[in-house]
Amino acid sequence: MEVIQFLLNGFSIALQWHNILFVLLGVVIGSGIGALPGLGPMSGVALLMPFTAALTGGLNPEDAAASAIILLAGIYYGAMYGGSISSILLNTPGDAAAVMTTLDGYPMAKQGRAGAALTISAIASFSGGIVSLFGLIFLAKPLSDVALRFGPADYFSLMILGLAAVSGLAGKSMTKALIMTVIGLLMATVGIDKVSGVERFTFGLPEIYNGIEFLTVAVGLFALGEVFKTIFETDITGAAISKIASFYPTKQDMKDSAGTMIRGSLIGFFTGVLPGAGATIASFFSYIVAKKLSKHPEKFGKGAVEGVAAPESANNGAAGGAMIPMLTLGIPGSGTTAILMGALIMYNIQPGPLLFEEHPRVAWGLIASMFVGNFALVLLNVPIVRVFAKLIVTPAKYLIPFIIAISVFGVYTVQLSIFDLLLMTGCGVAAYFLAKNDFPLAPLVLAIVLGPMIENNMRRALTISNGDFMIFLNKPVSAVFLIGGALWLLVPAILKRCKKTSAGCESR
Amino acid sequence: MNKTFDRYASIVLMAFGTMFAWQSTKISASAYGSVVGPNVFPFGLGLILVALSAGLLYGTFRYKQEEREKTPMHYKKFWIIVFSLTLYCVFLEQIGYVIGTFLFLLVGFQAMQRGNVWKSAIIAAVFSFVIYYLYAVLLNGTLPGWPVWFTHWRFDYGSYSVFAQRLQHRAAVA
Repeated sequence: MEVIQFLLNGFSIALQWHNILFVLLGVVIGSGIGALPGLGPMSGVALLMPFTAALTGGLNPEDAAASAIILLAGIYYGAMYGGSISSILLNTPGDAAAVMTTLDGYPMAKQGRAGAALTISAIASFSGGIVSLFGLIFLAKPLSDVALRFGPADYFSLMILGLAAVSGLAGKSMTKALIMTVIGLLMATVGIDKVSGVERFTFGLPEIYNGIEFLTVAVGLFALGEVFKTIFETDITGAAISKIASFYPTKQDMKDSAGTMIRGSLIGFFTGVLPGAGATIASFFSYIVAKKLSKHPEKFGKGAVEGVAAPESANNGAAGGAMIPMLTLGIPGSGTTAILMGALIMYNIQPGPLLFEEHPRVAWGLIASMFVGNFALVLLNVPIVRVFAKLIVTPAKYLIPFIIAISVFGVYTVQLSIFDLLLMTGCGVAAYFLAKNDFPLAPLVLAIVLGPMIENNMRRALTISNGDFMIFLNKPVSAVFLIGGALWLLVPAILKRCKKTSAGCESR
Repeated sequence: MNKTFDRYASIVLMAFGTMFAWQSTKISASAYGSVVGPNVFPFGLGLILVALSAGLLYGTFRYKQEEREKTPMHYKKFWIIVFSLTLYCVFLEQIGYVIGTFLFLLVGFQAMQRGNVWKSAIIAAVFSFVIYYLYAVLLNGTLPGWPVWFTHWRFDYGSYSVFAQRLQHRAAVA
C-alpha cells in the first residue's frame, strides 16, 4: 500500500492552489491548441514550454519543475482531446491522432449531434486518461525497480532500442528516419563535453558552448515548422462549422459506447507504452477493433457513437501510456514525451528509474495532477467547447503571424539571445522542408534528448570494460535490447523487400 | 518523394558527416580516468551518417520520381514571412520589442492575405503593446524596450531564469 501513500503525497502537491491553476490552464490552452487545425500536442507543448519557465520562475527548483511538468502534461492530454473538436465540427483533424475521429464525428455533427459527439469524445478521453493513469500508478514503481538494476551497458542498449523503435515506425523511409536520428545525436554532442571539459564543434561560437539549446530547437522544429506548413495549406477558409444543439448524449449512446471506451482505453494504453507506436496508431487500431466487434459494423463511418468513442479513448490512453517509459526508464517513446522530458531535464530533473526516489514530489505530483486534469477536461467540456468552436475559424491570416510572434517571444524571453532566435528560424525552415520530403522529425528530437545519456552510458560501459565494445553483447540484458533494436529495424525492411519481390502483393 | 531534394540532401548530409568525423579527429582523444575520450562517439556517428546518406543517394537512383499533384504553391508568402522573421530576429534588440513585433505582424498579415492595412495595423499594435505591457511592465520580465533614440529607454537584466542553469543540468545527466 506504499503506492497509495505516494499517491496521497502526490495529491498534496497537485491540490496546491497554484498547481490546480496550472492544470486548468494546461488543459484549457491544450484543448484550444489541439482544436486549431495544424497545431497538435507536439507543437503545443513546444510552443508553450518557454512560458512555463516564466510562470514558474518564482518557485524553488523542485516545485517549479513539478508545476511546469503539470502544466505541460495538461497541454499534452488537453491537446489530445482538443484534436477531436475540429475533427467533429470541421472535418479537419487538429492532429494526426484525431484523423480517425473525423470518420464518425463529422457525420454525427452533420446529423445535428455535434454536441453529443463532443461529449462522448470528452468522456472517452477521460476514460482513456484514467485507465492509463491506473496503469502508470501500478507499473511505475515495479518498472523503475527493474531499471535500477541496469548497468551503463544495459542502459545504452535500452536507449538504442528506444531510438530504433521510434525510427522504425516513423515516416515512410527508414533510411531517412535513421539519418534524422544520427543528426539528432550529433547535435547533442555540440558544446563542452561534460566528462572531459573539451569543447566540441563549437567553432569558437560562445553561444553554443553550453550545447544547442533544446528549447530553441523544439520551438523551431515543431511550432514554426507546423506554422510554415499551414502557410501552404491555407485554403480552408469558408468551411462551415456545424452547430452545437445539445451537449447531452442519449442513454442509448452511452450504452453503445461504454464497452468501446474501455477497450479503446486499454488498447491505447498498451500501444502508448510501446516505444514508437503512439497515439495515431492506437486510435487507428482501436477504431478497427471497435468496428470488428460491433454488432452493427455498417453504421461505422455514418455517425456511430462507437466510432467517436474508440479513437478518442485510445489516443488519450496512449498519451498516458507514453508517460510510463519516459518517467520510469527515462526513454520517451514519442516526440511529445521527448519534449516533455527535455523540459524536465532543463529543470535539472532527470527522468528515469531514480525519478521516483529522488523527486517523488515531481513524479507523484504529476500523476495526481493528471487525475485533476482529466476531471477538469470532462467538466469544462460543456462551457469551453463553444468558445473553441469560434476559435477554430480564426482566419489563418492572423493565426500564423501570431504563432510566429509567440514563438519569438517565448524563445527570446528564456534565452535572451538573438543567436537563438536565428537558430529557431533556421530550424523552422529546415523542419518544413525536411518534413515535406518525408524526413520525420520525431526521431530527431528523441535523439537530441537521449544523445547525452547515450554517450555517457556508452563511455561508462567502455571504461568498465577497458575499451572493449563486446561488453554490450556480453551482458545478457544489454544483448537482448540490442537484438530487439536490430530486429525492430530489420524486420520491417525484410517484410518490405519480400512484398516487393513477390508478385500479386499490394504495392505498399 | 522528391528525388532532387533527396539527392541534394544526401550530398549535404554526407559532407556534414565527413565534417563531424574529421573534426572529431582533432578533439583530444583521452579523458582523465576514462579509456574512451570525447572523440569516439561523434566520430562513429559521423561515419554512420556518411553511410546512411550514401544509402539514401543510392536509393534515389532506384525509384522513379512520383508524379506530385500540383498544389497551389505559396512560396512567395512563405519566403516573405521567413525573410521578415529573420529581419525581426536580427533587429529585435535594436528597434525594441513593440516596434519590431508590430512591423513583423503587419507584414505577416498582409503577406498572408492582402487586405485592409488599418485593420491589420490595429491588431498588430494591440498585440505587441499588450504582450509588452503584460510581460515587461506587469511581470517585470526582460524584453528589449524602446530603441535608444526613444526618450524612455529601458532594458532590465533583472530576471534570471531556471533555464540559464543548463550547464549543471547537463552534467547531472551523467
